[in-house]
Amino acid sequence: MRIFIPVEKIMALKYALIMLLLAAPLIGLAQTEPPPTINSVLKGRVFDAANRDVLPGATVSIKGTTHGVTTNSEGRFEFVTGQKFPYTLIVKFIGYESQELVVNGSPLEVYLKPSSQILNDVVVVGYGTKTRKDLISAVATIKANDVKNTPVAGFDAQIQGKASGVQINSNTGVPGDGVFVRVRGTTSINASNDPLYIVDGVFMNNTSLQTVNTGGRATSPIADINPSDIENIEVLKDASATAIYGSRGANGVVIVTTKRGNFNARPKVSFNTLQGVAWQPKGDLWQLTTGPEHAEIVNEFYRNSYADAVAAGNTAGQNTYRNVPFRALTDNPTLTPAPRGLPSEQNTYDRLDKIFRNGKLQNYDLSLEGGSKDTKYYIGAGYTKQEADIKPIDFSRASLKVNLDQRVSDKVQVGTSSSISRSLRTQGRAGDGPAGGLFQSALHTPTYLPETNADGTPARYAGFDNLQVLLDNYNVHTTSLRYIGNLYADVEIIKGLKFRSSWSLDYDNYNESEYWNDKTQLGASPTNGLGTSAITQNSAWINEQTLNYHTVFNKKHTLDVVVGNTLQSNIIKLTSAQGTGFPNNAYTDISSASVRTANQTYTKANLSSYFSRISYNYASKYYLEVSGRADGSSKFGANNRWGYFPSVGASWRAKEESFLRDYNTISDLKLRASYGVTGNQAGINNFAAQGLWNGGAGYPDNTTGGDKPGTAPQQLANPNLKWERTAQVNAGFDIGFLNNRLNITFDVYNKQTSNVLLQLPVPYITGYSTYSSNAGKISNKGYEVGINSTNIKTANFSWSSSFNISGNTNKITSLPVPINQYSRDWIRMQQGYSMYSFWLYKQTSVDPQTGNAVFEDVNKDGTITAADRQILGSALPKFYGGLSNNITWGNFDAGVLFTFQQGNKVLNLNRFFGEGGGTRDANRVIFASQLKRWQKPGDVTDVPRLTAYGNNYTLEQNSRFLEDGSFIRLKSLTLGYTLPKSLTQKIDIQSLRVYVVGSNLLLFTKYTGPDPEANVGGGQAVQGIDLGTPPQPHTVQLGVNITL
Amino acid sequence: MNILKNTKYIATAVLLVTLVSCNKFLDVKPVDSVSDEQTIFDKSSAETAVRGVYRALAADSYYGVSFPSIGYLSGDNVQWTGSQSIVQQFIDHNVKSDNATVSSVWLAIYTTINRANYVIAKLPEVNDATLTAAYKNQLLGEAYFVRALAYFDLARTWGGVQIVTTPTLSASDKNGIARSTVEQTYAQVLSDLNTAEPLLPAPTTPNPVRANKETVWALKARYYLYQKDWANAELYASQVITKTANYTLLKPYSAWFANNAVGTKESVLELAYSATYTNGHRGQWQPPANSGTRQWAPNTALLNLLNDPLTGGTRSALVAKTTAGLWYGNLYYRSPATDPAYVLRIAELYLIRAEARAQQNKLDDARADLNLIRDRAGLAVTTALTQDDVLLAIENENRLEFALEGHRWFDLVRTGRASAVLGVTNAQKLVLPIPIDQITVDPALTQNAGY
Repeated sequence: MRIFIPVEKIMALKYALIMLLLAAPLIGLAQTEPPPTINSVLKGRVFDAANRDVLPGATVSIKGTTHGVTTNSEGRFEFVTGQKFPYTLIVKFIGYESQELVVNGSPLEVYLKPSSQILNDVVVVGYGTKTRKDLISAVATIKANDVKNTPVAGFDAQIQGKASGVQINSNTGVPGDGVFVRVRGTTSINASNDPLYIVDGVFMNNTSLQTVNTGGRATSPIADINPSDIENIEVLKDASATAIYGSRGANGVVIVTTKRGNFNARPKVSFNTLQGVAWQPKGDLWQLTTGPEHAEIVNEFYRNSYADAVAAGNTAGQNTYRNVPFRALTDNPTLTPAPRGLPSEQNTYDRLDKIFRNGKLQNYDLSLEGGSKDTKYYIGAGYTKQEADIKPIDFSRASLKVNLDQRVSDKVQVGTSSSISRSLRTQGRAGDGPAGGLFQSALHTPTYLPETNADGTPARYAGFDNLQVLLDNYNVHTTSLRYIGNLYADVEIIKGLKFRSSWSLDYDNYNESEYWNDKTQLGASPTNGLGTSAITQNSAWINEQTLNYHTVFNKKHTLDVVVGNTLQSNIIKLTSAQGTGFPNNAYTDISSASVRTANQTYTKANLSSYFSRISYNYASKYYLEVSGRADGSSKFGANNRWGYFPSVGASWRAKEESFLRDYNTISDLKLRASYGVTGNQAGINNFAAQGLWNGGAGYPDNTTGGDKPGTAPQQLANPNLKWERTAQVNAGFDIGFLNNRLNITFDVYNKQTSNVLLQLPVPYITGYSTYSSNAGKISNKGYEVGINSTNIKTANFSWSSSFNISGNTNKITSLPVPINQYSRDWIRMQQGYSMYSFWLYKQTSVDPQTGNAVFEDVNKDGTITAADRQILGSALPKFYGGLSNNITWGNFDAGVLFTFQQGNKVLNLNRFFGEGGGTRDANRVIFASQLKRWQKPGDVTDVPRLTAYGNNYTLEQNSRFLEDGSFIRLKSLTLGYTLPKSLTQKIDIQSLRVYVVGSNLLLFTKYTGPDPEANVGGGQAVQGIDLGTPPQPHTVQLGVNITL
Repeated sequence: MNILKNTKYIATAVLLVTLVSCNKFLDVKPVDSVSDEQTIFDKSSAETAVRGVYRALAADSYYGVSFPSIGYLSGDNVQWTGSQSIVQQFIDHNVKSDNATVSSVWLAIYTTINRANYVIAKLPEVNDATLTAAYKNQLLGEAYFVRALAYFDLARTWGGVQIVTTPTLSASDKNGIARSTVEQTYAQVLSDLNTAEPLLPAPTTPNPVRANKETVWALKARYYLYQKDWANAELYASQVITKTANYTLLKPYSAWFANNAVGTKESVLELAYSATYTNGHRGQWQPPANSGTRQWAPNTALLNLLNDPLTGGTRSALVAKTTAGLWYGNLYYRSPATDPAYVLRIAELYLIRAEARAQQNKLDDARADLNLIRDRAGLAVTTALTQDDVLLAIENENRLEFALEGHRWFDLVRTGRASAVLGVTNAQKLVLPIPIDQITVDPALTQNAGY
């Protein structure tokens, strides 16, 4: 049986209660007015024409008068006026087309159409907002709602493929790990290349605080933010947009605006949940040799090496390789190497199966937003837990967000944004480095080796852990407790002149603990347990004052002026302790360890800035903008502390000219150009300019006294160290057709960075390897195209597409000496080449007669030396982008997003180790691709003859392992169904949508590893190296979204 | 609110901000480092700086792992059993100039030299009443000794190198220094040893973790051996050997390294490590079962020799076998990884003297020294008769006595036997390539021929 209570009554009661609670303190502020002459009373309600939602906060006014009212939380308004019917009413609401209608009686229902024009969208720019039509600079806007359901922890990873000019690479499949983000190319070598992230006015730290070793990867501080709280994301790309951020603007600025309520809006409760699974299809993984195949390869390697040693008269070599290891157990058992049984007797053990799993994904978000006459609020709570598809890695985050704005008077508004989150990670070493390495155990262990020793104990090989033991005993946990908050006050001093002061804080308490018990390699006897605990605290505060002046004079001249200053300070403190020698595995606190060491570091940087921007336009037709910023940084010597960063931009809205105004095919045309200078000082050591000595070089005075303190030079001084400087020219146009159903944005830019901050190599005879210097020039030139199209729009069916493509050419135009990166110097920064270029010996062929690898002898001296290494391709793509399509059909909706990247190279280091020709014998797996090796004269292959001698397998930097990493990926696919309103409203629900989201379901690439976006990490100078890196998972999630 | 009131607030705020943002705000100093202008200025800072010199000498890239590894990998005792193919380049005598080990050793040695140069340049000017002249001389002498050792290692690995004798104060102040000849480089070694010798005191108690007058004699003995100045080699070796209170051949052979022994009387100079300053050497030798990577291991030929009671004797303690039958070197084994780096052992002084005496045809004296070493290893007296036989016997004894220390390659190169024993027929391969990046970064530096 069902008890029937009229829905309206429940709702009215509920709203009344909430309103009362929230509005109570404000009632006193209500004003009384003298009674007017009443000639008519008009009551009415305003609705969204598309979905019939009520529209609170719309303004209703009578044409030709100043009299206006705002609709209430139920969209109702009431008009008492001296005017008589009929009169013309104007109804306006942001995001909707304004409507004029003649009224001749009450009550009235008004239906506003959502604005099909994007021109009036408000775009957040540095220290202010602009409507899109007034925008001079290149700014990409991403609606968070479009992407927030992709199961990666950070919003930066979610916007891949959504914005032109923004290259995003996932790096790994580990949720919450750092991603590679570049806005318009890479501008620096050692200073930061990441954009500046600003969340509600807070310059947020984007440098990982991680200290535990996860094989080169690092966690992302961005992941501390719940993407569901985000309203939209703007990416400021050209100098006219970023110069006002001066020294922080060279790599672009990402401005994140979180959700805030609306004044006079009824409370809206939203609940969203997603439940899903992440997995890795086995077919996408590495193809390995079987045990017998591995044995055959190694035996062949021994036979060939022995023959070579004989030919060279090398007796030690003959001894070493005389007996093949895979021989019958009875065949000379005392000779080394000991016999391991015939190849055919070998088993094959699959470890990859043990590490991959179906990771569980869950996400819950609950929010409340709304507002009264003078207060608006947003409260969001979220919880997400994402298990990686490899054990034991997972990420979870609980977050709380409160945004509150209060009008204190008609001239003063104060507000706050606060978010607190706790990110909890179970981490794993998946990257470089043997001990504790997940893929070292799971992938790099030869397949013929059993999991256990003859006595049944777990077996460890090649410096790697036993996989099962590792998975059972992994104990690496990290908690990031993060507060990001901002408090502001706005004061309107006189009409048009606003003052704003704000204080912001970004505080992160990053707490890591590792415990390797005595079953794991790191903690095994004689270490007897290895425990580490580290607490890193990052606190950054910012104080900002701005004065904003807006005026229109002679009706056609609009002038906006901003001036301001900011002070910023950033402190990072680290305290860590390590213990070894635990009594047994039950004791995991370092206080139980017999040997304990501790570590402490402290670093601080301050920045003081003044800035201004002057914007002028004539009749919304001709625009001119000038901005500048002066930054003083504590990182530099007294002579070079201050940097000055000007910009100028202009645009012309040709559509407003008489010759285009009435030409309807073209609905908008704007030409833009800008030039400006930005700086960079982020990422370098806070004390990089100073010559320093440090402690930490202790040594005993005698055999019994133990270590005594010691000191040593740490770095060379460079009193001339100064800002890196990026000058950027941008030109572009925006064009709209057919009432802006088709919009095209096109930009070209030329970004020239000079005084590049880098660790410049110095001759080692100085006793140093590098010193901090401004020593290079880097050029980035590129184009960006964004196309948005509403292909079909009818009452019941709509289909829209958006496509973006960006190309960037990066080149180091000046660098005094090449700089190598990563172990084995795989990557080289060199004048005349792109960043992230690979420095290799080019294997041109394998000699069909001898089976020896043939390398290109660049200097033609007849021998292959290091001088023959050359640069062969870069990890940077020639172009990249995304294509998305969205369809709604009745209550159904569908979205599909493809991302693509072309021309980037990936160094497949897993294959480098797996195709070692048997030289690594029992120390590494052998990939199935090794079976293609040269065996006899006439064989044509690119895999050389197996031998320990010569260059076939000891010349490590072989171009054979450099692969094409271009790809097209089905990044996400969404299918949704919104229950009919008629149904849901009966149960007091505004809207109810169920949907399915899939991600990474398809991948088209020539790359032989599982994920061409994989990158081992190892600092910002390393990209495109795939080693032991978890590939991105395929995911499918089922979601429900309820709005009350 | 009225305009006036607001303006007042704003004016106050702006004023406050401007006051704070004076240059003081931008003057931020580090707390865990000090400016390089105040480094060596009193007794304490002189002591800490000298300890820093030893720490550089003991770094993984120098005497910790890399430098000894060049010495044994390039010989005929060790085989590559890990993942780093550059190891095989040494074994195969096919070292490329981009070999990372070569580059890291080059840097580590010059880092040590720079630290020593700081002491040598600044210590003489220190005026501190608590710093006695004798102690000041001792600290100074230690710096000279370490610098001598560093140039000695450079010379025997690369030939003539760039000689730097002042601390580096700016990035450019070592520009334009050309390579000296190998003779000039060795002359620098001798000069530093001669300077150190009178400055350093003789030890009152054995203290092999720091250099003293006797350490200088020991290195001089080795220096003269390399110079084929047999008389002086014998002389200085004898000077050390006679200090039997400080140095003696321990028996059994393993007594100087087994059971976590440190600072034994076997050592003339050994570098010390601790839980804080560990030595990475064990990780390269120990098998996975003992938490190592077994990047390299004793090869079949060495195993046969060490395990043969007639050649290896008790030196078989240098190798061990896992339960799975995997042989590994066991000289570096401790946890925490505090295995000392053995720079000069008394056994070497005996073998230096034996060789110097044999070269001077004092065959009985030579055999006597040799037999002391053999006896300590539990072997019978040598049967070598002729001068050539005795020299070969000494060579073979050296091979096993220092099987896992960095001697073999340098011994075979210095005696001209690398071709006969190792098959290195290309004389250009007897020195290593200068790191290619150093050639690139320093126009004054030239590559060794053949690389």
